[in-house]
Order: sequence, then structure tokens, then C-alpha cells
Amino acid sequence: MDHIRNFCIIAHIDHGKSTLADRLIQRCGGVEDRDFRDQILDSMDLERERGITIKANTVTLPYTARDGKTYELNLIDTPGHVDFSHEVRRSLMSCEGALLVVDASQGVEAQTVANLYLAMEFGLTVVPVINKIDLPSADIDRVMEEIDRDLGLDPFESVQVSAKLGTGIDDLLEAIVTKLPPPKGDPQAPLRALLFDAQYDVYRGAVLLVRFFDGTLKAGTRVRLMHSDAEHKVEEVGNQRLKRVPVPELSAGEVGYVLAGMKSLAGLAIGDTLTEADRPAAEPVPGYREAKPVVFSSIYPMATDDYEDLTKALEKLKLNDASLIYEKDSSAALGFGFRCGFLGLLHLDVVQERLEREYDLSLILSAPSVRYRVVLTNDKEVWVDNPTFYPDPMSIKEAYEPYIKATIMTPERYLGSVMELCRERRGVETTYNYLAAGRMDVVSQLPLAEVLFDFYDRLKSITQGYGSFDYELLDYRLGDMVKVDILVNGEKVDALSQLVHREFSRPRALRYCERLAKTIPRQQFKIAIQGAIGGQIIARTTINPFRKDVTAKCYGGDISRKRKLLEKQKEGKKKMKMVGAVEIPQEAFVAVLRTEDEDEG
Amino acid sequence: MRDAPSSAPGLYLHIPFCSSICPYCDFSVIHAASPARTRFASRMAAEVSLAAPAWRDPRPFDTVYLGGGTPSQLPPEDLARVLDACRTHLDFARPSPWIFLEANPEDVTPEACASWRGLGVRTLSLGVQSFSDEALRFLGRRHTGRHARAAIDTALAAGFETVSIDLIFGLRGQTAEDWQLELATAVALAPQHLSCYQLTIHAGTRFGVQARHGQLSELPEDDQATLFELTHRFLADAGWPAYEVSNFARGPAHQSRHNRKYWDHTPYLGLGPSAHSLSAADASSPARRWWNERGTPRWEGRLAAGERPIEGQELLGPKELAAEALLLGLRTTAGIDLEDLRARYGVDLLAANDTLVARLTDEGRVVVRADAEGARWLVPTLSGLAVADGLAAAFDLSLPN
Repeated sequence: MDHIRNFCIIAHIDHGKSTLADRLIQRCGGVEDRDFRDQILDSMDLERERGITIKANTVTLPYTARDGKTYELNLIDTPGHVDFSHEVRRSLMSCEGALLVVDASQGVEAQTVANLYLAMEFGLTVVPVINKIDLPSADIDRVMEEIDRDLGLDPFESVQVSAKLGTGIDDLLEAIVTKLPPPKGDPQAPLRALLFDAQYDVYRGAVLLVRFFDGTLKAGTRVRLMHSDAEHKVEEVGNQRLKRVPVPELSAGEVGYVLAGMKSLAGLAIGDTLTEADRPAAEPVPGYREAKPVVFSSIYPMATDDYEDLTKALEKLKLNDASLIYEKDSSAALGFGFRCGFLGLLHLDVVQERLEREYDLSLILSAPSVRYRVVLTNDKEVWVDNPTFYPDPMSIKEAYEPYIKATIMTPERYLGSVMELCRERRGVETTYNYLAAGRMDVVSQLPLAEVLFDFYDRLKSITQGYGSFDYELLDYRLGDMVKVDILVNGEKVDALSQLVHREFSRPRALRYCERLAKTIPRQQFKIAIQGAIGGQIIARTTINPFRKDVTAKCYGGDISRKRKLLEKQKEGKKKMKMVGAVEIPQEAFVAVLRTEDEDEG
Repeated sequence: MRDAPSSAPGLYLHIPFCSSICPYCDFSVIHAASPARTRFASRMAAEVSLAAPAWRDPRPFDTVYLGGGTPSQLPPEDLARVLDACRTHLDFARPSPWIFLEANPEDVTPEACASWRGLGVRTLSLGVQSFSDEALRFLGRRHTGRHARAAIDTALAAGFETVSIDLIFGLRGQTAEDWQLELATAVALAPQHLSCYQLTIHAGTRFGVQARHGQLSELPEDDQATLFELTHRFLADAGWPAYEVSNFARGPAHQSRHNRKYWDHTPYLGLGPSAHSLSAADASSPARRWWNERGTPRWEGRLAAGERPIEGQELLGPKELAAEALLLGLRTTAGIDLEDLRARYGVDLLAANDTLVARLTDEGRVVVRADAEGARWLVPTLSGLAVADGLAAAFDLSLPN
């Protein structure tokens, strides 16, 4: 076990985590140079583009150190966003050490501190890595000072590298071997292996990535997943190189993959523990938490003809994203679609982008909603995540909404704005602490619904990008929710209904009305757009009819062109949704349902 | 009561030459200094000799429109050669078709008028555009307000049956008062016909380039509407009621009997660069529209090679014709003869759009009225005329299968 090192790389966005991972893989001969695609670990296009890791990937690297011994380095990649914080924690739990990357010109940032705390929470040994030392703007002395002062780590333990050029990579590999501890565990004890990630393979189905804490596992063994209580027969175990390499057995301390004949990821829960069915462990690996969807939205195809394609795309997506849930839904204005549940807003974003990009679909998403607990006057309890099914106010006794504990890290100078943002979003018991010089940690209890509506963008904007945000669900609390409907010429547009706290119902309704007024083209008639709670109108805008659109000249040479324009307009109208004799272009729905807030800048 | 319009075809002759190219103009034009001008009459003669055998319509042409460009930039003897060649190859109405000629104010002299009258020109259409020197400079015109007024007087004195003037409104910074002054000046000079065009900025013109760089724009819609309504009300009160979106006449006799053909699918033959033609459907073929090469050099080149200079064509079935009848009819104050539309294209417009028509009637955009013979017409009001393009798009033109 002494020859094993399990570690991850943690970094602020853009500090070069992926490039560093690539360089380590390359240096250990994990891949031929000519096969080398930059940033191998971030395999999805989307991840490459955003520069964030969404699904963790993991790789085993053989390394012959200066002491002449060959080590097995398991690089465990971690996803980089709060929606996946559960997965991040499972990944960290699988490591003994972490490389904490700091950009040589940017220095220590809010996320660097957050990452360090997370690593320390799991008792990891942390080696600071100063990256991008090749940049002309690199200021290594200052960064070393910050590592000492802000992170409380020994700057002389740090390794200086340029992942881009490959400088210092040998020293870093040596540091991994000498500074990070080997794993511990008992290969003879009953099997305890943590499922920290799972991938979908078209040919083999579910590929389980596991960290072995105790015991030994070989093909043919029956294993049990302790939380989901399912049993499977292991077909193959092996190391996750750039390809999967089968080995006879894996045991305590190691990281590897397990194939057990599971056709999809459905039913698999990250954080579950594998044990031997015939000789189960007494306790699972601690820290398991069920990943529950907390954000809900309806997805409709822009063109109703694409419904079948959307159905197939979701089925495929579900194969490698067990946390995505969906069911059929339909709207009078937008036709057939799906009500989907997500782990958070970024998860929603990722699913939307993958559907649009990988499956070439144009989509409309309804306003994201949380799930409410509603107690009816007859004392029955219902859960509602779709405004369409919100009970009649007369039949509601009490309604409860989910609260989160939000942790926001921000430079001290933005403290006032961050506190104000929390207050605006109905935050309670907002407190703050000094972390290190100039850095604050704001903790607030917020209704999750208020975080869904453009909270993260606002936070980024008021802290000029320095604020970072993490949250965990707390509980359900009594709230005063109302259902706001949007009416166009007196007819309700079902896809635009939303559940809002009463305090925000009027501004929200007005914003929807104004956005619609901006995006619905003028028509031959006056169009009234109203926001309403039940029968009460709370916001209103109008779109005045055309006054002048006729072209001045129409002689011999103009007629064909005019007719073709007319034909095109009629074609365009077919794609519009009719509500109350008003043609609403799809773009209007898209614009209205945008969660970010361009209007107020 | 209107006279039944003539169904005889019209002839359009495009004369592309201009002494300078106006920054708003997107017609096919070429500088008058071009050597093409000296060859032009013989090229036109060549084109008509090629086009005539293919023109099957047996009815004689009862209008000839010399448009451009600036036909007054072609010497009268060249105009005569062109007309002679047309008369030789095509069947002209007797005693003579109604001939229209477009002229620039600076070309209008008593002598020129006399020679045009000699060619049989009965409507002289003057590219006045404005009486304001400042506006004329902005529009890149070579004449002044004084020239324009003099040209109108000269033309009227020369005895043309209809003198028409073109004006442009909606210039940058133009107020309703400014424009009303232009209209009052025009009315005081008493031409029989007026065309008032709102300034339209076309891509590919100098104004278009300026607009792309944000240096110029058309008026905001509300201001356009104000000037449009002002134009129609003012001229109607003065005795020049509109008969089309941009055309006003002092009585039906002065309405353009040539342009009307474009609006009611009467056939026309167009010769010269960019000219469009329309032939009616007959037993053997559907209606057809074709158009010439747009640029003078290409047009010339095709003719020099002994070919007809046709650039493209389209066949027009009932669906296309009905769509055009709708969009064109809604641009005229007479509106759309619903029985005629049904008889010609099989479209029952009211039946297919009953709720729409009811709403448009409520909104004061259209009225449905019966004429003395009991035929029903869909007639746009002034506010309907102002949005004729949108109106046309609002109608369902479902054809019976």
C-alpha cells in the first residue's frame, strides 16, 4: 500500500487545474503525445468550453520515482460547482492528499480558501502548487506570502510549475510521492469500497469508480450496495488508465473501476458503499447523502415536431446522469414537454446545454421552481413543484418552502453589498466572520426560491467576480406564496405562471409583462398584457398596434419581392404560438423565462 | 363610379441614365456620361425586336411609360428612335397609347417640352422631391426649389394633359410643419398628380451605408404615421385625394393608368435594364413574370450577343396571384373587389377571415362596402392604408384544394 498515492487537484476556476492534470498524465506516459488531446480529463465539450469540470474523471498513473520505486498515482478529478458538492465531497473522501493550485499572477482567491477548507475538512495533506510561473505577470514572492498569510500553509513546501510548458512537473511528481501519505486499510477485512463516481459506457453499461477502504475484490464476487440495497455480480475490476485496464483484484487503498452488469446509472447513488454480499461490512463509509432534485423546470421543444427527439435525448441523457429526473408535461401555449428535476441551477444549465448542443434541440424552459409543501384545509399534505398544480388559495391552510444555508465568501470590501443581497432575498440570521485578512465568510438562511432567480449572477456582479457561493439544504419553513399568472388579451399563458413570495409578486409580474411587451411584435390590434393573482390584476402593460408599416413604392419590380416577404411572414406566423388571438413568437417565451437579469444591469 | 379599367397591356421602357446618382435611389441607374448612352437607342431597338415575337398578348398596348433613371437625360431624337422601334414591332393602341415620361426639373425647358409633346407624351412626371434647397442638397439633387417651381410652370404651360410631381417626406429633422409647407407649395402650383414617397433607406445606397454606420435613419414609426396621415388628409382636403398609398390625383382622370396595371395584374412588357414584365395566364400556360438583367452593362452584353437580356422568371399560380392581389389591393383606396378575387383566384377572403375582418372593422382599419352593382369590396381606411403590409400578412389566403 506504500506505493499508492490517492490525490486530487483543487483550484479556483482558471488557475489551470485541467492543464496541470493533462501534464501529469503525459509525463507518466499515460498517453502518447500524438494522441494527446489537451485537457483529457474534461471530456465533455461543454466542460472544455466552460473550463469547469462537471463530471469527475479519474485516472491511475504509474510513476517511477527518484528512489527507483514504481508508484501508482491515482488522480481523482473533482467537479467544480456547488450543485455537485456532494460529489466533490465523495471525491475528496477518496484521497489522502490534494494539490492546491494557485495562479502565480492572480494569487490566492476566494475559491482557493474554500477549497483548502474543504480539503482540511477531510483531513487531506495539502501541497500548494504555484502555477503559471512562465507568465510575465507572475509574482511568486507575493503568492508565497499569500500562501503563508491567507492559507496558513508553509510556502516553502510549495512546488513551482508551469503546466503549460511542463516546467517543474518532475518536482511535483516527486512531491506527490514524498509529501502525500499512502492510504491505510485492511485488505483482509470485510469489503468497504466507496462509490465516488459512475460513468456510462455504451457497451458495458455502468462503470463504477470506487475507492477501496478495506477488503479485496475480484471478478465473480457478489457485491451489495449498502444504501440502495441492491446486489450485483462483479464482472471485471481494473485500473482506470486512459483506457480501462482489467486487473485480477483490487484491494484496500486502491482506486479503480468495477463492472457489475448494470445497464444504466439509474438507481446508482454516489456515496454508496460496496461490500461483499456474503461477508458484509458492519458500517458503510460515512457521509452518504441522497442526491435529491431541488430545482424543477418544464422543458418544451421550440418546434412541437421535435417532441419525439426531445424524448429520446432525455432518455439518453438519463443513462449517464442518474440525478436527472423527468416526467411528461404539457402546456396549452407550448405543447408537449417534460417536467424535470435537477440538483441545482447549474445542473439545469448543463442539461439544457447538452440537450441543445449534443442533440441539436431548440428548447424553451419554464421558470425554475422549488418544491413546496402545502397543507390543505382538510389537513392533507401535497408537494407541488409545478405552478400549474398549485392548489386553489381557498383550499390552502399553510404552505412551506425550502430554505438553504448559504455560505458566501467575499473580499471584505463587498461585505455591505453581500449582506444587502441576502436581505433582499429574504435572508434571515445572516452572520459573518473574518477568515483571513480582507476576507469574509457570510452565512445566511435563504429561501431556495430566491436563489433560483438570478442570485448567483447578482453575487458575481456585486463582488466583481470574487464572491463564491456554496449552500446546503436546511429545512422547510412557513411561507406566503402566491401563484402569479400572465394574461395576454385576457387569456392565461400557462407556461408563464409562477409561484412567488407575495412580497415579490408585483415586481416579478411587472417584469414579465415588460419583457413580453418588448418581445411580442406589434400587431394590428392593441395587446393587453397583465399579471394577475387569481382574479386580481397586479401588473399591466400594453403593446400599441402598428401605426405605419406600408412601404412607399410598389411598382413592377417590387411586387415579387413583396409577395415573397409576405410568404415568409406567413411561414413565420406558423411557428408562433397563438394566445388570445395574439401571435407570440417563441423568442418571447425565451426572453421572458430568462433567469438572469439584463434589464436592470 | 369608376370607369372599368382597361385590360390592354402596358409597355415600360427603362432609361437608366442620370446626371448624378441620388444617395437614396436603389433603381437601376448609370451615369449619363456613360458611353452606353449613345448606344442605348439601338440596344432598345434590338431588345424590342427580340421581345416582340414572344409577346403573345393580342391586345394593343394602351400605355407607354418612359421611366428610369432619368428619361429626360436621353436626347429627344433617341427617345423617338426607341418609341419608333416599339411602334414597329409591337401593336400600339390607336390613335396612340398614353405616353408617360419622367423628367428632372433641370431638364425641363419650353423647347424640351415641345419635343416631348411631339413624341406624344401626355403625362410628364417631374422628379421634384422637395421645394426646399436644404432638403434637395441632402437628397443629392442638382436642382433648387426655384428650378422645381419653374419646371412645373413650364410643364403646365406646355400643355401636357397631366403634370405629376414626385415628393419625398420623412427626411432627417423634418417636422410636420416643414412637410405641410412642401405640400402647400405643391398644391399652389397645381399639378394634376402627386406622388409622395416616404424616404426609404435601402441597403446598397449611399444612405444605406450611412444608416449602417448609424449616421442616418428612417423616422420613428410614430412620426412616419403622423406625416403619412397629414399627407393624405391635407391633399384630400385640397382636392387631390389618394388612390394609392403614395399617389394622389386631381380627379380619377389623372390617376396613373399605367401604374394601375401593376396593381391589378394587367399584363405589361418591360424593356431596358431591370425592367419587369407580366404575362397573363392563358389556355396553355400560367401567368408569368420575368425580369431583365439589372445592370446596364450586363443588359447590353446579352443584347450584343444576340440574346434576350432576361435574368429570371417566375410562374404565378392562383396562390401567388391571390397573395399579390391582396397585398396590392390593400394599398389602393378602392380596395379589393371580393367577387373578382373569388372569380379570378378562387379565394373567398371574407369567409376565411371572418373574425379578423370583424376585428379590423372594429379597429377602423378596413370597411366592407358594396358598390352600385352590389359587388362587395374590402376597403382599407386611412389607418389601414398606413399598415397595408401588416394587414396583408394578417389574412388567411387558404385556397380551396
